[in-house]
Amino acid sequence: MKSLDPRVNRLPSDDSSVAKPKEPLDQLATFEVFLKKSEKRLMEHVGIVHGADEEIAFLFAKEQFSRRYTCIEMWIVKSSNTFATGYTEADVSVYDSIKHIDGVANEEYCIFHLLRRGKQHVFAGTVEAESVEHALSKAKKSLGDTQVFNIWVVKSSDLHKWSQKELWETLPDKGFRDALAYRAGDKLKDYLNERKNG
Amino acid sequence: MDKEALKELLFKMADDQLVLGHRNSEWTGLGPMLEEDIAFSSMAQDKIGHSYAMYSLLNELGERDPDTLAFLRNANNFKNSLMCELPNNEYEFSLMRHLLFDFAELIRFESLASSAYKPLQIIARKIKTELLYHTMHGKSMVKKLAGANPESKAKMQASLIYMLPFALGIFEHSPYENELIDLEIFEGEDAIKEKWFIKVNEFFNLTDLDLPDVTQLKPEYGGRTGKHTKHLQALIDEMSEVIKLDPDAEW
Repeated sequence: MKSLDPRVNRLPSDDSSVAKPKEPLDQLATFEVFLKKSEKRLMEHVGIVHGADEEIAFLFAKEQFSRRYTCIEMWIVKSSNTFATGYTEADVSVYDSIKHIDGVANEEYCIFHLLRRGKQHVFAGTVEAESVEHALSKAKKSLGDTQVFNIWVVKSSDLHKWSQKELWETLPDKGFRDALAYRAGDKLKDYLNERKNG
Repeated sequence: MDKEALKELLFKMADDQLVLGHRNSEWTGLGPMLEEDIAFSSMAQDKIGHSYAMYSLLNELGERDPDTLAFLRNANNFKNSLMCELPNNEYEFSLMRHLLFDFAELIRFESLASSAYKPLQIIARKIKTELLYHTMHGKSMVKKLAGANPESKAKMQASLIYMLPFALGIFEHSPYENELIDLEIFEGEDAIKEKWFIKVNEFFNLTDLDLPDVTQLKPEYGGRTGKHTKHLQALIDEMSEVIKLDPDAEW
């Protein structure tokens, strides 16, 4: 579909079952950032950073996305190594349109699900497959019994992981990084009251 | 316990952290790219936090409150090394200073994590974990830029050569070295310097930069005895502009 209207060009392609690599943005390459807030929480996507490589991307992501809130582990993957299916609407799951493919289970792939529109992709599990398409087909069998609006597939060997908990150890002491810590609203209210009464 | 020796140690560390933290925070909003701006600002904030912890220990030892110590002293009462007060130049200047300083800072706080002075020991354990990320950042950025292209390599090399004598100034002796060592409060600047030599050699061997023989360089001393460059008073004046408007304001 060729149009000068960006809204038209943003429309999803007709076939949502085909996983295509995400398009890189400008400047340096971009990297997808996933983090785990605590042992109880799933690894979830939090955003994107620029970087020269995964190592630099992690340095940036750490302060970008785990400056204020708890974190125990972070994963970084190059955007172009992240394969995303199309999006589905309402009560249709992307898995409905994934076709069965045969293949050899020779490499591990991580599957991320978008379970609610407007929320983040969360880690769903891994499958052994020989390609992205094959991974999707295997995921449909093992993870496909929920309604999923969008799926990301990443080869596990492309994911770079940082799980040195020490890196985030002092975060609970940094409440001052949150605007709430300054109670600016309360102070303003007190000040206005004082002025009104005095 | 020798209170004067301990205070001297805390003051020089706090002043280093406050002054360098302020210098690095001057990059906020001006960093080379958004992500690096945020990361560098965040580390500058950590530095100020470390100085706050040190000034608080001083406060417990009978000194004035942390804000007064930080903002309302004159330059000749500051004990920071000259390296920390140098005005910012190009970004590679700040990046190199950040790495060379934090190599020493990590070694210092790893060592203080077993200090005989318990309150310092407890805080040192926290500070050293934050320095892990700081040095990780410095190493990756310097290594990457040293090998990126001829221009970036030349800039990193020039900033390394300029900064080394100032970095050696970090290890200027205090009048109480022996007392601190005897009391096992701190293992002394010479011990930190020896470990720093090893770390710096190991690191720069892995980069495309040439490290001169650091043992042969003449260190830039003076900071630890209050003999500063003119840049420090200017920095303090700017830093304390707000508090001087109303020293009793509640924040």
